[in-house]
Amino acid sequence: MRWATRKGIHIDRAACAWLIQRSLDRHARFLFVADPANVPADATAFDVPGAELSHHGGDCSFETILRRYDITDPVLWRIAAMVHEADLDDGRYDAPEAPGLDVVLRGLSMIHSDDEILRLTGAVFNGLYEYCHAAMLLGHEPS
Amino acid sequence: MTGNVAVSRADVPDQAGEWVLLSYRLPREPSGPRTAVWRKLRKFGVAQISDGLVALPAGPRTREQLEWLSEEVIDSGGTAIIWLATPGSRGQEHQLAETMAGARAAEYDALVQAAAAAAESPITASAIRRLRNDLRAIQRRDYFPPAERDRAEAAIQALAPVPPRGGRAASRDHAAGTAP
Repeated sequence: MRWATRKGIHIDRAACAWLIQRSLDRHARFLFVADPANVPADATAFDVPGAELSHHGGDCSFETILRRYDITDPVLWRIAAMVHEADLDDGRYDAPEAPGLDVVLRGLSMIHSDDEILRLTGAVFNGLYEYCHAAMLLGHEPS
Repeated sequence: MTGNVAVSRADVPDQAGEWVLLSYRLPREPSGPRTAVWRKLRKFGVAQISDGLVALPAGPRTREQLEWLSEEVIDSGGTAIIWLATPGSRGQEHQLAETMAGARAAEYDALVQAAAAAAESPITASAIRRLRNDLRAIQRRDYFPPAERDRAEAAIQALAPVPPRGGRAASRDHAAGTAP
């Protein structure tokens, strides 16, 4: 399946792409458009104003996808808190990791293409997942 | 960005930069969405050009901030349009920047006073953390830093205890066996 989002991706779009590939469509192909009107008819739009998989009721797009597809994995919801705060910084969650993620993504967007950022952040989110997973099993932060 | 105008007129050596604008209208009632939008605009540090028209220097982050807010306005039954625009002259842009810098300067001043008030009694780590968070929130919406910023940074830095310089770590018993 083809999935489309706005070019110049930041934390929410990078995290959504990782989530889509991980939980919804292992063979997902991503394309990046300059204008929401350029999303092809056969592609599913995400994190695009006006799309279903987008910001809704104070949720960022990552949270919207989790809700829309009934994904209840607590590790993914922990990552959602980080993504939400890195993207919106509205204090809904306690996520001290968020400012760090925000600057890492902003830095990557200065030197890499969107495709390359997806590749790099895929590894970052895989690592985050393992870390949060271990923390939940242990009941405290892994040393 | 497609909105960039490649003007190469020799008589305009120093053109004003690009700004992102949000023009919006929201129903007067209910007041909830109006308050929510107003709070966000305040957090973003926008220049209020007139009623229902705000501006920020154009960039990926500012554009996204206003784009999502315009969606929120529309979801709440209002109307909103995002514009990319260049002030007609450097002078006009300068006025916008001055107004925004003045608003931030007042916020930094308030923070300096809060830091001074906090310093009057023994200060806790959580109080310092709160002040640092406040400073960071102002810095995030500060596009034309005024001199007051340096004073606010210095005032908050002065509150933090001086970090120990060597010789102390060995006395922390739990670290004795594991320190590299």
